Amino acid sequence: MGERARYLYAITRNPPEGFLDDARGLGGNRLEAVHHRGLAAIVSDVDLDEFGEEALKQNLEHLEWLETVARTHDDVIHRVAAAGPTAPLRLATICIDDDGVRRRLDDWYLALGQVLDRVEGRREWSVKVFAPAGVPESVGVGVRVAGGGADYLRQKKAALDARAAAEEVAGRVGEEVYATLSGRAVASRRLPAQDPRLTGHTGTMLLNCAFLVEVDEELSFEADTDALRRDFPSVEISCAGPWPPYSFAMLEQR
Amino acid sequence: MTTAVEERPVGQASVDVAAGPQIALVDLLDRLLGVGVVLAGDIVISLAGVDLVQVRLHALITTIRSDMVTPR
Repeated sequence: MGERARYLYAITRNPPEGFLDDARGLGGNRLEAVHHRGLAAIVSDVDLDEFGEEALKQNLEHLEWLETVARTHDDVIHRVAAAGPTAPLRLATICIDDDGVRRRLDDWYLALGQVLDRVEGRREWSVKVFAPAGVPESVGVGVRVAGGGADYLRQKKAALDARAAAEEVAGRVGEEVYATLSGRAVASRRLPAQDPRLTGHTGTMLLNCAFLVEVDEELSFEADTDALRRDFPSVEISCAGPWPPYSFAMLEQR
Repeated sequence: MTTAVEERPVGQASVDVAAGPQIALVDLLDRLLGVGVVLAGDIVISLAGVDLVQVRLHALITTIRSDMVTPR
């Protein structure tokens, strides 16, 4: 067992007494709240043999380790978010001791106040739009063309035109989905499209975005999503949530 | 239809989360690392003399790729 440090999961305001009693953090360690100036940082001990600089570099290369840490981190944040407004921290934010935690809260005090006000009573929804996998691309491929070269080129051009047109339409669908759902959300964010090798989805990701939605508006948001699916049957619209407000409360650390 | 995309986390481990719907690992890492897991780059950690360990994770992608799901 090496030196211990404090791992930060999230920051909240006035959490109810004992709300983390039945929850555990990384390594099964007890979760605690470090209170400072009306804020509460949710922390647990970690071992620097596992979370110190060198160890982290090594451990982050192991997907299984990373997944366990990310899932535990997420689990804790879900619990904190269920109790009150929450600013989740990025993975592996570690202070040497509680004084270090309080110094962080001082540094971030103003930004934290704004973030917590923004996310209170709101949750994050993820929406992705996928084009069907490679449909227009295959037009004309493998077809013997009786008329020879010129016909072949004409047909190939037609296929390319059809593909470009399909992509344009798909792009417009993505924009329309984003615009419609933004109208229902208090904040919206576009995220980079994900690599198909990571999502296991071969269709082009036309849109990857996050919406911050009032809890009272969630049913309407889902109804809007269903309506968009009916309006645009040619694309796949996936909607997931509600999640803690990861995309809208992340503190930018320097 | 919230389809396979949300239900196919990268990697094999699956953990039951009591509170709330489980987030696909790729989405979770996108958010927890704040840079998008598709980017390549480096890890910056500062510890010595500072009380904060800060991880900007990009190199991770190599790990994920070695363990990738097979696209449908």
